[in-house]
Amino acid sequence: MSESDTPTNAADTARARLQEAMQRLANGDRSALEWIYQATSAKLFGICLRILGDRSEAEDALQDVYVSLWQRAKSYDPDRASPISWLAVFARNRAIDRLRKGKVRGGAVPVDEAFELPDKEPLADAVLESGERSVRIQHCLGTLEERQQDAIRTAFFEGTTYAELAEKRGIPLGTMKSWVRRGLAKLKRCLEA
Amino acid sequence: MTGPQETGPELPEREILAAEYVLGLLDAEAKLQARGLVATDPDFAADIAHWQGRLAPLLDTMPPVAPGDDMWPRIQAALDQGDLSAEPVVEVLALRRRVRNWKIATGFSAAAAVALAFLASPMMRGPAPGDPPAQQFAAADPLVASIPIGDTPLRLGVTYLPDREEMLVSASGLSADGVHDHELWLVTPDDGAKSLGVVVPGSERRMVLDPALAARINDGAELVLTREPLGGAVPGTDAGPVVASGSFQKT
Repeated sequence: MSESDTPTNAADTARARLQEAMQRLANGDRSALEWIYQATSAKLFGICLRILGDRSEAEDALQDVYVSLWQRAKSYDPDRASPISWLAVFARNRAIDRLRKGKVRGGAVPVDEAFELPDKEPLADAVLESGERSVRIQHCLGTLEERQQDAIRTAFFEGTTYAELAEKRGIPLGTMKSWVRRGLAKLKRCLEA
Repeated sequence: MTGPQETGPELPEREILAAEYVLGLLDAEAKLQARGLVATDPDFAADIAHWQGRLAPLLDTMPPVAPGDDMWPRIQAALDQGDLSAEPVVEVLALRRRVRNWKIATGFSAAAAVALAFLASPMMRGPAPGDPPAQQFAAADPLVASIPIGDTPLRLGVTYLPDREEMLVSASGLSADGVHDHELWLVTPDDGAKSLGVVVPGSERRMVLDPALAARINDGAELVLTREPLGGAVPGTDAGPVVASGSFQKT
């Protein structure tokens, strides 16, 4: 498929460059952090902003992400994960931690803010991963029952526990758990099909 | 078509737990246990990595937003200040002084700390005359402290369960250097530092606290970790250097 060659190669190149920067970071090279910041901050800020729903909180979370990244670069295993996925999950976890500390009320970001475009072109961001994986997870989530999708999405984007979900939806805790567990089993089957 | 009665092959328990951990569905105690499992069970750690990989693409749908131009300078400033745990250096120094003052004042038995850590013994020290009664902790919400260790990526996880007067210390990511032990202290505002025992690297420990000690743990209570000779602080000498600090917070 010649059509898919170009984006795939671009993504591979971007990934390799980020991988290389992460390696330099692990060796204590602070200029690597700036490169990584330029390449990934728009994506990671988008994630923090979506989860926290507040620009100033999202900025604090973003600062926390890069400061922690500098601290823990040595623990990054270059063989294991795609660097941008690792960073994205890292940012998501930090934002969720912050959200759960109850400092802010989670909520939807105003539409104009959510769709604000980056004012400079990120070096690697847009092409780091092809959209294919994203389409796949959306498709597989779509095969679940509505209530399963809802629970999994809410947990992922808000860090909501079983107990909170059950209370929110007004159903017994055990029922919520078995919905979600069945949903997770099905999700995995679909993703690996 | 899918219906409510639909059944498929169930996921193994371990894999369900990994997914629940990644999603954030677990309550505080289950989360702590899962964290301990990460260190002891490589298969579980791999399950977690897999689930993170499966769910990460959900983040791809979030549109990028450029942070403000002052963001990078802010990060640099934070790095330059060594503001790595968001805790002012001054505060750590003050805590260190308090630890030392307390050591001088009382002379504490290191053996007691070891007993606490290894035997989960509640007999460490008797209640002091002025200690507040334990029943003020009717609120059963766990308190959690996540203590960053120096300039490493590691964290010491401490969870206190008020309803059981139990403390869980998760040192899963830490490894022993063979020449030092680390001792955990609760810093009390009026009575110096109280030892919570030696932290056992690479392990997760559950210990029952003396009620008098438990009564001193509250939201915001400060903890410090000191570096000590093997076996813990030597009685009659100063506590070792403070290597990390943190505070309990409501979950």
